[in-house]
Amino acid sequence: MDLRELFFDPNHPTLLGSCARAATAEEARFRVQYPNSRTRASRIFALDPAAAEAMYKITEAPWNGAHFLTLATQEAIDPEKTNASDLPLSHPDGSPARLDDEIDGADVVVLLATDGNAEGAAEVIARECFHRNIMCAGLALGGSAPQAKVDRVVNSMRRFARVLVVANDDDYIPAMLTALRA
Amino acid sequence: MLRKEINDLLTQTDTGTPMGDMFRQYWIPALLAKELPEDDCPPVRVKLLGERLIAFRDSKGRYGLIDEFCAHRGASLWFGRNEEGGLRCPYHGWKFDYTGQCIEVPSEPEESGFCEKIKLRGYPLIKIGDVLWTHMGDKENRPPEPEWEFAKVPPEQTYTSKRWQECNWLQAMEGGIDSSHVSFLHSGSLASDPLFKGAKGNQYNQNDKKPVFEVVESDGGLYIGARRMAENDQYYWRITPWVMPSFTMVPPRGDHPVHGHFWIPIDDVNCWAWSFDYHPTRALTKEERQAMMDGYGVHNQYVPGTFRPRQNKDNDYLMDREAQKRGESYSGIWGIAMQDASLQESMGPIVDRTKENLVSTDNGIIMARHRLRKAAVALRDKGVMPPGRDTAHQQVRSAAKVLPQDQPFKEAMKEDLTVRPGVKQTSV
Ligand code: FES
Ligand SMILES: [Fe+2]
Repeated sequence: MDLRELFFDPNHPTLLGSCARAATAEEARFRVQYPNSRTRASRIFALDPAAAEAMYKITEAPWNGAHFLTLATQEAIDPEKTNASDLPLSHPDGSPARLDDEIDGADVVVLLATDGNAEGAAEVIARECFHRNIMCAGLALGGSAPQAKVDRVVNSMRRFARVLVVANDDDYIPAMLTALRA
Repeated sequence: MLRKEINDLLTQTDTGTPMGDMFRQYWIPALLAKELPEDDCPPVRVKLLGERLIAFRDSKGRYGLIDEFCAHRGASLWFGRNEEGGLRCPYHGWKFDYTGQCIEVPSEPEESGFCEKIKLRGYPLIKIGDVLWTHMGDKENRPPEPEWEFAKVPPEQTYTSKRWQECNWLQAMEGGIDSSHVSFLHSGSLASDPLFKGAKGNQYNQNDKKPVFEVVESDGGLYIGARRMAENDQYYWRITPWVMPSFTMVPPRGDHPVHGHFWIPIDDVNCWAWSFDYHPTRALTKEERQAMMDGYGVHNQYVPGTFRPRQNKDNDYLMDREAQKRGESYSGIWGIAMQDASLQESMGPIVDRTKENLVSTDNGIIMARHRLRKAAVALRDKGVMPPGRDTAHQQVRSAAKVLPQDQPFKEAMKEDLTVRPGVKQTSV
């Protein structure tokens, strides 16, 4: 491949800030001096009681408007027969929540699961995300549990999540939500 | 987004910092073995983890990595005379052995034993494969010698290079586990680079630009899986292993050699990008080795006589807008290594992670930071040794494979992701 040698030309000096050499510590203070993103709407769904418990440990922290929701039933959900408005959900204070209200206008949805029993609910939520072009991520907790159990959790979300994380410890929930500016 | 305290914790590696202490629990690559080619050869200056050191090979073939500066009045031992079993400072003739022990102070009576009182800090330097490795921590906690496959296969099967990268180690390393950039930044190179082209897997990459990611913790770090649709409703998986603190491997393509990296801090604003290529079961061909030396694949070209890339920030990385227009290079920068390095250096010496806007597909990076932070804090607060020291954690391979949809890769590819002597890499 033919590469042109572009060595520094003393007849045409380049201002430091207008070339790749501006990647110095002194120049760093001229970077991004204003907030370059607006608040995201994040919706976190705990799909089983253990996931809800892990989630409740951090819902009090000051988040940027994230909504934390739990599945209000442990009965199996048949995704074929369940509309968005029928999925039983609740807010942390126990009051009921409606899926379509919650995810209309959401930017990111995170599903939390510790067992594989909520595949139907995951499908309903993911389906609604898909229709609205919302990014849906799955977080399987308890990655150090026996492999067969982890597989079940992962499989229950695999078809729906564009990103799936298997974490050993619950403290990954706040680490991830902070990183995502939830 | 990462809070400032955590960004500082992860990026600072000088003596006495938590991440610096953590790096000092591992055997890390220090030099290429060819930098010290023979006994009594010239000593080499080495800066690692914010410490200025000098590496030399004495008359008996013993390797030493000691403080760069003479204990007498601080002259650099790079000017030293490497002779008769030690490195002698040319200023007043003090002499040090490969451990840093002073063995001669010519001005003092020999019988006084004065020289025994003088000792420079010294670290072990051992040759495994094409690399000289050092352990900069306490002797009592020295881990077993490293057993990475690329360093253990016969010499004809492996090739290693290193290049100076002018930014903090962490943003460089994050590039190694950031699978979502490959479909963009390196898209031009898949078709043309002699060390990548022609693999069947490349078609899956080209046909499905929106991979789905799965991040799974392993004992030593992480597996980052990227899956794309393959024929018959199956998934084409590419798995990148990361082993703490900074070892990454690129999933293989066809029968091409497999490559990977180490990212080692020089100081907080410079690092070594180590790049290796090896084949587990066959010698590299002459053409492959030549391509590596010519800077293809994960390697690069140099400013002659240095480890600084020929494309660097002083020449705008030889940006070629025409090649970009012709579709040969997505970013206009030639070569995979410098495509990465140019952007990572452009992020600034230590990227300010309080200002970034991560998205869900960045979970590999988020998880790696999380693991690093936890390990550094556990070491600092409780003296817990971090993962990745155990040679079992080092027995990892990257892999690429087509699997039925319902099979979790970590389980289904368990063997493929493990070093199996005499068995070649799993690749598509
Ligand atoms: S698109 Fe990722 S850094 Fe710009
Ligand atoms: Fe890259």
